[in-house]
Amino acid sequence: MRRILSSLTDGKGFDLLLVGITLIFLILLAGLPLVYNVLLSFQEVDMFNLAAFSRPWAGLDNYREIVSQPEFGLVMRNTGIFVFGSIAGQFAFGFALAIFFMAKFPFASTIRGLFLVSWVMPGLVVGAIWGWILAGDFGVLNAVLQGLGIIDETMFWKSDPALSIWAVTMANIWLGLAFNMMLLSVGLAAIPRDLYEAAELDGANGFQRFTTITVPMMRSTIGAVLALGLIYTLQQFDLFPAITEGGPANSSNVAQYWAWQWSFRIFDFAKGATVSVMMLAFVLIASAVYVWSTRAEVRG
Amino acid sequence: MTPQIEISNVDKHYGAFHALKDIDLTIPKGSFVALVGPSGCGKSTLLRSIAGLESISSGDLRIAGERMNDMPPRKRDVAMVFQSYALYPHMNVLGNLTYSLRFKGVARADAREKANQVASTIGLEKLLDRYPRELSGGQRQRVAMGRAIIREPKAFLFDEPLSNLDAALRVHMRMEVRALHDRLGATSVYVTHDQIEAMTMADHVVVMREGRIEQQGSPLDLYDRPANRFVAGFIGSPAMNFVDGTGGEDGSSVRLDALPGAPVLRLDRRIEPGRPVTAGLRPEHLFSGGETQITVPIRVVESTGSVAYYTTDTDPELMLVEQGRGKLRPGDAAPLSIAPGDIHLFDPKTGLAL
Ligand SMILES: Nc1ncnc2c1ncn2[C@@H]1O[C@H](COP(=O)(O)OP(=O)(O)OP(=O)(O)O)[C@@H](O)[C@H]1O
Ligand SMILES: [Mg+2]
Repeated sequence: MRRILSSLTDGKGFDLLLVGITLIFLILLAGLPLVYNVLLSFQEVDMFNLAAFSRPWAGLDNYREIVSQPEFGLVMRNTGIFVFGSIAGQFAFGFALAIFFMAKFPFASTIRGLFLVSWVMPGLVVGAIWGWILAGDFGVLNAVLQGLGIIDETMFWKSDPALSIWAVTMANIWLGLAFNMMLLSVGLAAIPRDLYEAAELDGANGFQRFTTITVPMMRSTIGAVLALGLIYTLQQFDLFPAITEGGPANSSNVAQYWAWQWSFRIFDFAKGATVSVMMLAFVLIASAVYVWSTRAEVRG
Repeated sequence: MTPQIEISNVDKHYGAFHALKDIDLTIPKGSFVALVGPSGCGKSTLLRSIAGLESISSGDLRIAGERMNDMPPRKRDVAMVFQSYALYPHMNVLGNLTYSLRFKGVARADAREKANQVASTIGLEKLLDRYPRELSGGQRQRVAMGRAIIREPKAFLFDEPLSNLDAALRVHMRMEVRALHDRLGATSVYVTHDQIEAMTMADHVVVMREGRIEQQGSPLDLYDRPANRFVAGFIGSPAMNFVDGTGGEDGSSVRLDALPGAPVLRLDRRIEPGRPVTAGLRPEHLFSGGETQITVPIRVVESTGSVAYYTTDTDPELMLVEQGRGKLRPGDAAPLSIAPGDIHLFDPKTGLAL
């Protein structure tokens, strides 16, 4: 008994206790709903058996029906554009800003801090603001682009089916910019200065230093940022109801919004669950990448 | 001897802070120059200015005859060994050694060949596949050296490269670095705060203080003829003893007023009678003169077996060094005898040698 007690205060027992508490929370709050969701996608669900636990087994019927929906291809394509466009934009601009703010100039860290505003603001608010920015007739974006002479006629960002998914992607890039910049800044700051000095003396120019020192030294940070970006982008929901509501004609609809529409507009909970389980597969891949890229941090 | 590095009237300001003050230094091709001085005196700043990692505020810097003031570091063709070694952690030893060759367009096979040569010069053959984190401190130090050697640069710059090694390895590497310098016919500038390192390794020692060069010359020049009290106290170990006194009546002796009995020592040069002076006496010269001139009481005895260090019970304390085991014990009276040529005299106000 004393052995067990002392292992609780000093030894492995304490570690196990901490891990155990976390695990219980995870299982209760994340694991069970997840399992329930997966289960739902294999069942026939209607308004009458919604509260029941055992329902008729549907096998892969839900999946077959989802895939054969006319808008399925469009939604997948939009999801691809949204996810890869957002991640690429957030990462590229975030990295550029992070490098920019590494330079020592007055108020550098203050200005960098201001970027956090985009991170703090709720997606619905950001969506509403971008809704105005993107508006066809009175939007700021059109005014700016026309002022610069980049476009001649009014662009209907939200109502043109060719543009609407890009409109939401733009807003999402802005929303995730600060997060990317912060993580990448931390990674940049962790690279010792004298490595750059040594490389400079060894004859590497700025671009060569970036590719041979910065990028390889940032590999785990970059992996983590990209994986988290994928997860956050697949989670991004608020912008859709605020800007385009997935329209016009599903031209800006993405998987996560479609799943919500299935469940809470059409009240076909099984189909909603099915779409979300399909997304789960992508998130799992991203999580694996994330774990793999941060494993170096554990080893130290 | 053609000058390899010429520094003339160089000043460096960090904002309002004046880090280098009117530095003049010519480093001949093939020489080994040591920069010494207390912490914060500007040694690293001077070295980094030569490398181009700091820009100089005014003055001229030439390497191999070419003006370098505004040349970026990568075009100066100098190699630096950092105190932290600054090895690239994501590359193995081979990658670290051949990094600079990538930008010179050297073919991979040739680079490998060259790395093998360098590795065998400095004893790294078996470690080429290791990553820096898998090396000991001494091995990392060698890789840092190898990375500099492989470039065959116009000059090697060392910033306290041995200060992270243990004492025995440091003494060993001292010789090795110097031997390597001779073998390569290189030009080296070596920063250290350890004056023994400077004295044993360098052809030419530059003593700095507060951004200024106090004195430069060959190691024994600095030891025998320090230009001022600061250099006298900095060069030599243990440090020189300073005792206040006055010029003797006869004009060729000095009276050490601060010691008990105000003993009078003969000089081998003239001095103004009655003039206040500070006499500098090296600990290792206090038993050098033959007959006993002063006796001082001993308070502390420290012996290493080969050398005995005595601290006297006087104000100011004197440090004495005797070769061998040492016969004196605490409380004994030490008989001192100082050859006239071993007495250094300084002006008490300006600190300049008389
Ligand atoms: N970037 C900087 N900005 C302002 N002051 C600096 C900067 N770098 C160095 N200094 C100052 O310049 C002086 C010289 O610094 P330096 O690093 O050359 O000293 P050092 O002789 O190499 O000392 P150490 O033996 O401790 O390495 C110091 O007083 C230091 O505080
Ligand atoms: Mg230094």
